[in-house]
Amino acid sequence: MMTGVIETSGLGKRYRRAWALRDCTLAIPEGHVVGLVGPNGAGKTTLLHLATGLLAPTSGTISVLGSPPVDSAGQLARVGFVAQNTPVYARMPVADHLRLGAWLNPGWDEKLAQRRIGELGLDPRQRAGTLSGGQRAQLALTLALAKRPELLLLDEPVAALDPLARREFLRGLMEAVAAHGTSVVMSSHLVADLERVCDYLVVLVASRVRVAGEVSTLLATHCRLSGPRRDPATLPAELDVIEESHTDKQSVLLVRTGEPVHDPAWTVLPVSLEDLVLAYMNPANEMPARKPQLGLV
Amino acid sequence: MIRLSWLQFRAQAVTAGAALAAFAILLAVTGPHLASRYAASTITGCHGGTCSFAANTFLSRLQATSPYPIVYLLGSALILAAPAITGIFWGAPLIARELETGTYQLAWTQSITRARWLVVKLALAGLAAMVLTEALSLIYAWWADPIVKATDLGGSTSLFSGGRFSSVTFATHGIVPLGYAAFAFALGTAAGALIRRTVPAMALTLAIFIAAQIAMPIGVRPHLIPPDRTIATIESAELNFGSLTATVVPDRPGAWIVSSGAISAAGQPVTNLPAACQPTFSGTKPSSPGPCMESRGIREAITYEPATRYWPLQWIETGIFLALALVLVWFCFWRLGRRRT
Repeated sequence: MMTGVIETSGLGKRYRRAWALRDCTLAIPEGHVVGLVGPNGAGKTTLLHLATGLLAPTSGTISVLGSPPVDSAGQLARVGFVAQNTPVYARMPVADHLRLGAWLNPGWDEKLAQRRIGELGLDPRQRAGTLSGGQRAQLALTLALAKRPELLLLDEPVAALDPLARREFLRGLMEAVAAHGTSVVMSSHLVADLERVCDYLVVLVASRVRVAGEVSTLLATHCRLSGPRRDPATLPAELDVIEESHTDKQSVLLVRTGEPVHDPAWTVLPVSLEDLVLAYMNPANEMPARKPQLGLV
Repeated sequence: MIRLSWLQFRAQAVTAGAALAAFAILLAVTGPHLASRYAASTITGCHGGTCSFAANTFLSRLQATSPYPIVYLLGSALILAAPAITGIFWGAPLIARELETGTYQLAWTQSITRARWLVVKLALAGLAAMVLTEALSLIYAWWADPIVKATDLGGSTSLFSGGRFSSVTFATHGIVPLGYAAFAFALGTAAGALIRRTVPAMALTLAIFIAAQIAMPIGVRPHLIPPDRTIATIESAELNFGSLTATVVPDRPGAWIVSSGAISAAGQPVTNLPAACQPTFSGTKPSSPGPCMESRGIREAITYEPATRYWPLQWIETGIFLALALVLVWFCFWRLGRRRT
């Protein structure tokens, strides 16, 4: 039986008047590198803060690794977090950040930390405030990895990085994940980056899970159809239309289907992960009548 | 967490330690001279009424001698300012800077609870602030002892006056600096937790602390213990004929005069010197209005705290500020915990 690394039910967080996350129900299985993707304001950061325990929910429930993310040393030790913009103590040298990690985390892996800092070529005496964005992100990742968490949460870790730094960061992340079997949930709006590292995807739009599933399954069950113009209502029931566009003569559909499409009227094309995500994220494609897209057990 | 707090606090602690050391050296160099001047003055071996004259002589000569007036002022200013400085620069950023720079997301996601993080941070910097202020105060009390003693004997100059109950002397001596330091530090931390921005929290801390420093001697301290009352003769109260206020409480040396004023035989307040009693200039010395007033039945009503209440008042005032500090600390914990389940 699968246990979720993050399971929420009706989860909501309100700041004063506005809801940052509302009625969010999702279950993220363990053992994956999960991409949490959605437009700005979808509630990704709020969800991750709720999962770390930095925030308390206004409504609903959340459990992380089977326990509520309460402010207890035991639960905090199980979850690593790399926050958005990877904040570090600007005046503290790199070496002191590692000491911080060593002092505050019983499971601290000093060898891992030292090896990573060495490989990255960071000067331990350099103040963290003078590091480049990429180096700072790597330092934050090192702290989170050397804590040896069961679950690693990353909030837009590469959003501010240049492409090279982004690749280096993700490579470091993947190496560590491969070595330790850590579950990862990483939010991003850069689908290309997620495609490279994630094997599971959750698309969150306005607090709702629009689609979730293993990347390979998602790609296998979605395709693009193009053919003579046709009313989508006349399509077979097993074709679930995610996105449609029509000209006078032609219809192009992005559909979800469990079955191969044999209708000779259609030209069947594979769909890229990016197109798939964008189709789900586009608010114009959210039809009220459509059944929920939860693909989870 | 203790090691991390020390790591992050070390630089401030060194700065504060250096300032304390510099102040201690200044006082250590000038203090023995001040003590020997006192020992050599006519105050030693004075009796009754001659003491206040001897004290006056000692103080006016002191006031004219550098560097005593400047060191005296500097010391008072430093002890009054130390709580505000530590509250602003140690207290206000403690939580606010973490929130402002986002580092709370790093600090509070390590394997340590937020409560423990706050306990250690508050304890280290808070105790350091208290130790610093109290250490300044103790060194200064040693240095200024001859001056306070002389003012207690009734000596008074434009700079040195009022005895140990005067607003500034009371607030810079004894144990109250400890209370002020704890209060200002907790105030800064709580303001930071409330406003979540360092600079506005600093400004709020300064404003509230100065208000507390002013309100305490004017509005609160006189009411901490209900003062005693007495009716004295004009002569024995050594009346100031300008304001008709008493300068001493008969048989209560070193008492703190909370308020005083002349009253008529019928018990009505006398606010002006009766015209008939105005001093007349016949010869070289003006006549004293005292006997004239007494012949009209005018007496001096004095509200005062006897000298024996110095330490009870110190304890109560310190207790008030420590209690306020505890409430503010509680607020910080509540504020941090409110984000939690």
